[in-house]
Amino acid sequence: MKLTQDKLKSMIRMVKMTLDHEIGCDDCYDQLHEFAELELQGKTPEKAMPSVKEHLERCGNCRQEYEALLKALEAVAA
Amino acid sequence: MLNWFKKRKNSGKALSNDEWVEQLTPPPAEQAVAKLRMILIRGLKPALYKYVDRELDQFVEDTTQDALLKILDKVHTFRGESKFTTWAMKVAVREGLSELRRKKYNDISLSDLVANDDESGRDEINQMSFTDESPGPDRATHERMILQKVQKMIDEELTDKQKTAINALMMHGIPIEVVAEQMGTNRNALYKLVHDARLKMKDRLMAEGIDPDEMLNQL
Repeated sequence: MKLTQDKLKSMIRMVKMTLDHEIGCDDCYDQLHEFAELELQGKTPEKAMPSVKEHLERCGNCRQEYEALLKALEAVAA
Repeated sequence: MLNWFKKRKNSGKALSNDEWVEQLTPPPAEQAVAKLRMILIRGLKPALYKYVDRELDQFVEDTTQDALLKILDKVHTFRGESKFTTWAMKVAVREGLSELRRKKYNDISLSDLVANDDESGRDEINQMSFTDESPGPDRATHERMILQKVQKMIDEELTDKQKTAINALMMHGIPIEVVAEQMGTNRNALYKLVHDARLKMKDRLMAEGIDPDEMLNQL
């Protein structure tokens, strides 16, 4: 696979965003339902649970699951 | 007997968290399971439709079934920080997306990625390798220098496992749980491995007095 400018930029951005302490996927998953509910209630989950927010900014899989969960919950509430 | 009656009596209205837990704790009440099943299906369809190219209904049914088993197995772990149905939906969403990722990347082999990239990656660096349109000579020189710098950092700072992981995740965009399975580890451990790799690279940049923003501006 050829290295593209976009991929290099993406890698440098990820390095730049790295925090000394980041929670892993397990800790994020454990709190994701609570985070999602706060979001849907119009509260600010990123303030109450900043480490979850930070993880979602850095982990594509967890972010995908979070966005799908929001969609699912909105559908059920409708 | 009384317990069963209580479980049946509450079938019409929305259940509280305690009621969900009580009615789904083994042996689970049939009506509670059926109720939860309907809720999960209602949520999963819009959540997963953009990832499923055909037979969405069947896929959602199968996912719901698998998720229900997991939920019933783990109902005692629910701690009440959200609605029970939110927690259950989280389990179901993960179940569905995990299955989709497994299917999509079924034939992937990480060792093939490494074998194909090794030499071509170095040739890229030597030939001012970006695949998009050619920049002017000065910019091209800057870009090549950055590429070389980053490549050197990767070569010198990261372990072989970290290089394999970074290659698969960042260069090829393979989902973390697929990569984790291929590397014989789990998603959480792999995230930590990559986090460590990113920290090393960040520390290296700092040690060399390189500002990542400046690097990005030159690309």
